[in-house]
Amino acid sequence: MHRVPPALTRLALILALLAVWELATRLTSVNVILIAPPSIVLWEIVRVFAGLSVPDFYLNAGITLAEIAVAYAIAAVFGVLMGIAVASSKVIGDAFEPILLVLYAIPKIILYPVIVLMIGTGYASKISFGILVGIFVIIFNTAAGLRQVEPNYVRLAHSLGYGKGKIFFKVELPAAAQTILSGLRLGFGYTIIGVITGELLVVNVGLGFLIDWASVNYHTAQLYAVVLITLAIGVVANLVVSRLERRWVR
Amino acid sequence: MAIIEVTGVSKTYHDQSSGRAVRTLDNVSISAPENDFLILLGPSGCGKSTLLNIIAGLTSFDDDGGRVLVQGKPVTGPNPKLMAYMFQDPVLYPWRTVLKNVEFGLEAQGISKDERRERALKYLRLVGLEEFAHAYPRQLSGGMAQRVAICRSLALETDIVLMDEPFAALDEQSRILIGDELVSIWRQVRRTIVFVTHSLTEAVYLGQRIALFSARPGRIKLEIANPLPRPRSIGTAEFNQMVDTLWTQLKAESLASIKREPAEQEKILLPKE
Repeated sequence: MHRVPPALTRLALILALLAVWELATRLTSVNVILIAPPSIVLWEIVRVFAGLSVPDFYLNAGITLAEIAVAYAIAAVFGVLMGIAVASSKVIGDAFEPILLVLYAIPKIILYPVIVLMIGTGYASKISFGILVGIFVIIFNTAAGLRQVEPNYVRLAHSLGYGKGKIFFKVELPAAAQTILSGLRLGFGYTIIGVITGELLVVNVGLGFLIDWASVNYHTAQLYAVVLITLAIGVVANLVVSRLERRWVR
Repeated sequence: MAIIEVTGVSKTYHDQSSGRAVRTLDNVSISAPENDFLILLGPSGCGKSTLLNIIAGLTSFDDDGGRVLVQGKPVTGPNPKLMAYMFQDPVLYPWRTVLKNVEFGLEAQGISKDERRERALKYLRLVGLEEFAHAYPRQLSGGMAQRVAICRSLALETDIVLMDEPFAALDEQSRILIGDELVSIWRQVRRTIVFVTHSLTEAVYLGQRIALFSARPGRIKLEIANPLPRPRSIGTAEFNQMVDTLWTQLKAESLASIKREPAEQEKILLPKE
């Protein structure tokens, strides 16, 4: 017997789920305000992209994407640099790592009101929160990756006459690349969560605003549509980063 | 004149946590003439690898009058233009192809891309791995990986090659075959090889001269020439006799090193006062 390819099984599962969902909403007396059937949601997604559904979809989606891009760029650059600093200097590591670990462990959301009070309700607060949620895993993965480099990798380069700087770029960084890149991938997901959480907590613009708008107005189909679009952005982003990760690490 | 000259070198390690001082080498003197294949043989923990590391400039030694001269100059650090150093493990970088791994040492010396490639391929050909030039290390067996590591050392084309139990991780058959390859390369491209091992068979099979270490603190107990003609074969009467001679000398030292180990572990386990 041939084995069924997993992609096909997955597709079948999703289709079955959608069918049950559709039938359940059609055949029972569940209010469409509470659960919208997939057929309507699908149509709503088309309408969203046509600009006929939620207010200023492209503007709001653009704002969210821009916030994510800025937040992630900052989280990635500073996260990697801080990870390098923590791993390469015992003084910096011993001084800062406990603080970072505490910050990492607490639920970041309790800091959001503080951020809003400090820098207001604009884009900056959402970007800051995205950075705060995303940066730690990047710092820790970078530091862990660099610390786990085989001592012999470094000894070999040393014996071949390489200096400290060259050893870092030619040996330690490539050896740690896999761990650093998976930190960057996870950090990307967390940054997206941070930015959208920020938008949902202080509602004024972005996809978070659209989700909230649809929710409080009982536009259930719109709500589902925007949530699915947001999800899709997350999935696509993750796919792109994983692809890059695989290309760099063979 | 000897290309390597070690005179009165001692090495003491200071254990930071227990404050104990461990003397691994005690007043060791040894020299190697050009084109020698010198074996450093001894029980585990006798400091033979430490001595190799000291010659390589990777480890410091006690400042009590000892001297290490290579080509007449004191060793101050790794000198990859003069000495290639080979580890017990192949230590290939998994993100580099075989070719790029062999070229790695040459890159440090700023040798042009074409020449790097040419030299790397020359040695890969010598060990029969040319067709794996563009493979990645994970695609190689243990023996193949170690041959790539040999290429990386030899490609430096240094006068001296220092090898720290380079075949210890291989199975016996691979070890013999790769040993044959090393000897045939050594005879083609004359180099001075210093080779650390704890295997009697390997010592007799490969070595031109054999220096036997005492148990810790390591001293050189005996230096003998190995007159067996090449190619050698394991198991002949002369071969076995050579092994026997070495074993008679080594046995007491091995016993001493084995007896010492449990006692030392106990010491470490004792709580600090």
